[in-house]
Amino acid sequence: MTALNAAVFVLLLGAAVCLLPMRNAVHAGVGILSQLMAVALVWAAAIPILAGGAPVVGELAWAYPVGTLKVRLDALGAFFLVWSLPMTMLGGIYAVGYLRPYFKSTRHVGLHYALLNLTSLSFVLVYTADHALIFLLGWETAALAAWLLVIWDYTNQKVRFAGFNYLVSTHIGLIFLVAAFMILYTHSGSWDLGSFGQWLRNNAGAERNLVFLLLIASFGLKSAFFPFHSWLPRAHAAAPAHVSALMSGVIHKAGLYALVRFVFLIGKPDEWMGWFLIGFSALSALIGALYTVGQRDLKRLLGYSSTENVGIAGIGFGVGCLGLSWGNASLVAIGFAGGLLHVLNHAFFKCQLFYAAGAVYQATHTVDMEKLGGLSRLMPWTSLSFILGGVAIAAMPPLNGFTSEFVIYSGLFTSAPIGVWAKVAFCATGALLAFVGAVSALSITRAFGVVFLGTPRDRSVARPTEVSRWMLAPMGVHGIGVVALGVIPVLGFKLVQGPASIALRTLPGPAGDVLQPIATTLTWIGMVSGGLVLLIEVLIWLRSRVASPTASSHVTWGCGYGAPNSRMQYTGSSFSSDFSARFRGVMVMLRRQKLPTGYFPAESYLITDCVDAVERRLFSVIGHGDASASDLSKRLHEDDPRVAFAAALIGIVVIAGVLMLVSGPLR
Amino acid sequence: MTLPAGFAHVLLALGMPVLMVGLVNRTKAMWAGRKGPPLMQLGWDLLRLMRKRPVLSGVATPLFRTGAWVVLAASMLAAMIAPNLGRFAPLEFNHDFVFFAYTLALARIFLMLSAMDVGSAFEAMGAAREASFTAFVEPALFLLVGTAGVVTGHASFAGLIGHLHQAESFRWLAPALIVVLFILLQAEASRVPVDDPSTHLELTMIHEVMILDHSGPELAAMQYAAALKMTIYAGLVAALLNPFDPLAAPLACVLFSACAMAGVAVVVGCTESLVARLRMRLVPRYLMLASALAALCLAGAGWLTRP
Repeated sequence: MTALNAAVFVLLLGAAVCLLPMRNAVHAGVGILSQLMAVALVWAAAIPILAGGAPVVGELAWAYPVGTLKVRLDALGAFFLVWSLPMTMLGGIYAVGYLRPYFKSTRHVGLHYALLNLTSLSFVLVYTADHALIFLLGWETAALAAWLLVIWDYTNQKVRFAGFNYLVSTHIGLIFLVAAFMILYTHSGSWDLGSFGQWLRNNAGAERNLVFLLLIASFGLKSAFFPFHSWLPRAHAAAPAHVSALMSGVIHKAGLYALVRFVFLIGKPDEWMGWFLIGFSALSALIGALYTVGQRDLKRLLGYSSTENVGIAGIGFGVGCLGLSWGNASLVAIGFAGGLLHVLNHAFFKCQLFYAAGAVYQATHTVDMEKLGGLSRLMPWTSLSFILGGVAIAAMPPLNGFTSEFVIYSGLFTSAPIGVWAKVAFCATGALLAFVGAVSALSITRAFGVVFLGTPRDRSVARPTEVSRWMLAPMGVHGIGVVALGVIPVLGFKLVQGPASIALRTLPGPAGDVLQPIATTLTWIGMVSGGLVLLIEVLIWLRSRVASPTASSHVTWGCGYGAPNSRMQYTGSSFSSDFSARFRGVMVMLRRQKLPTGYFPAESYLITDCVDAVERRLFSVIGHGDASASDLSKRLHEDDPRVAFAAALIGIVVIAGVLMLVSGPLR
Repeated sequence: MTLPAGFAHVLLALGMPVLMVGLVNRTKAMWAGRKGPPLMQLGWDLLRLMRKRPVLSGVATPLFRTGAWVVLAASMLAAMIAPNLGRFAPLEFNHDFVFFAYTLALARIFLMLSAMDVGSAFEAMGAAREASFTAFVEPALFLLVGTAGVVTGHASFAGLIGHLHQAESFRWLAPALIVVLFILLQAEASRVPVDDPSTHLELTMIHEVMILDHSGPELAAMQYAAALKMTIYAGLVAALLNPFDPLAAPLACVLFSACAMAGVAVVVGCTESLVARLRMRLVPRYLMLASALAALCLAGAGWLTRP
């Protein structure tokens, strides 16, 4: 407990010192140093717990309105804390390189570092809270700090709008959360999460279901599940790269933490909750993946892929939730271990990808794919970092993204004795996950291929050079993590073992040793992945021994065309047009064009842009509500008997559905 | 007994590709009224290519040359997981079919990346087609495995595919599953009607256009990997039908497997001779047929094994 208190104190002190008038370099130094100390202190508290130690509990006397403030750090919180703080520190180091142009200016970089400290502080608060007020305090601190971090470039109207959008969205989420807490407080008469849990465990029924839905909505908004995601790509594109990385990789994982925490508090959830979670998450994964395909802004693309990846983790949690409600220990272990492992892995590769995208932005001043190209020769380390993160995010062996998806797949294709139709539904989800995997492979190939391979597409873009070591170092650390967790997946599994066994303890009967099989499978994965790397090495070595080592150079074959130029390369939009044409309902493509006319056409252009369908429809309904209603009525002819029949049918179905909900599963 | 079986598997998996391509080409030649190339022609071609000095595009990065070997290594590893002898594979662990699918996907990513590396519009076009078409077949394999899982209750690829023929519902599911595997084969190994390996026309190419700039040993690696993929899926068809236990009756099992794979090659050849390749716009629909059929199998398996 003292270590955690000291960490809070160090972070606050660091933030305060950062605000003093000093040189910007000193601000950065103080920020990073205080983060480093906080990391050491938090590790001192969290690692023993993850190794199997008892949870740390503490109390803080407080006056009347809220009573005693309780703090409790168990394995679940420790798991999240143990990587959240170091990653924030790495973000601070990256910021030294990224914000370097501002260091000599009159901008106060200290404020930025103070906000990073507050972000770390919010992790300590949220992940150790055993009291609703501390939880909300941490939640709000994270939201406000993230908002202020996003609007670093506040003179830009678009950035301000993105920040405001984020602020509004996150507070809509807060309303749901507060509503849920109010219901829980009224029933349990206490602000303790423990007593919330007690009430939740013993009072299945409509009110618990309502609380569950409110919580899902709130956490869904925080972690950007579909359809609550529309703030995310905007905010991620506007923020400085390390802030995007931290938001996507670390800060919004608090939503998933809270989701798992409350599922653990419920103890034995209803079956529909598990199915709901799986459906909701699968939809997020699918739509998030589809959106990544159309984007031309590299950071927006990465933003959407967060929606995809929280969906994948959510499928794992859904499987675990069903395991809890069926009392099936192996599903519980696989679901929660797989989901949490995916959260960890996502933090590793997503930060890495954002760092690489930020490096591209710093070197070329654009992240518009259609203007970039051929960066891998000029920025080899950034390019290596991006491809590592990319292969990991597409969940390919031998990198870490694969290991967690593998565990989730092994839950979906379980040979555990569950109902036949449940099995069929699981397999269908597995197939959907496979589709999502293929789509993310498409979009990452597209992103890497267009930005880093080939030749530069636009002469107006600056010819970049490799970025500074301050920015490469965090990429390197994350890269090592991505490879290590892929080839030795048991490392990551050791971290999630603790949280998974918390879930297992809530089961009524003895769970047995269900974690061991997962560890064994992961060992296999590690060995075969290592074997794959070895096989590649051996083949390349053999090639150098057997075949001619030298090669003559020539131009790329142009299929007989004599005057190729770099503008003729495939662009990002052309790469994805085959695919996105089949999903027009989800991927709304806008085009602005002036096509060439006449014998000697003058200027002509074609600009395509993939916009967010949810946001667009929302705005169009808000802005032109009456117009869209009359539009709809114009398309439906009143005197058409089919319309009346269909309307009546829909009405009956809705009424029947409401009746069923009232008297059936929701009661 | 596992060692000889493993040896037979490796031999079959790595040796058959050359013969498979030879058989396909011979079959096509017979339909066209030609004599056709020798059965082992691909082997000679590969040896010839290995001796050549490659020509590299000036735009290419080191990834271009590495890519070919990643593709080959990943395909070889996948071939070690795919059970072409029925209920046995040298690499067998729980849920190894996920590893199988994603290793092949890794091969595909590097195939596409090395195509895009040279900055040619043609090759990127091939990569785009490969990426978007394979996205439609990817669920098919998982639905197929899921069907086998519902019916047999095993967890490894070899267990699932190798035990399927013992189930009562096998005769209902087998024809559909073989069709699914056959479409998967056509998509993954770029055969007609999805892709035409023998033309060089921008309108029709997928796989061939991606390796336009490859030459020498790297081209050999790519061509062998493509043949290997065809063998993998033919091996799965063979495994689905194989009634022998590879550990109890190894000789019969290997013989049956080899014959079945050769049979698949002949069927591929016949299809290529008798069916025109599809228009590009229709390819995704054809590929979705595999997923839809596999989904139907899954639902059917659920219905047939319901309590």
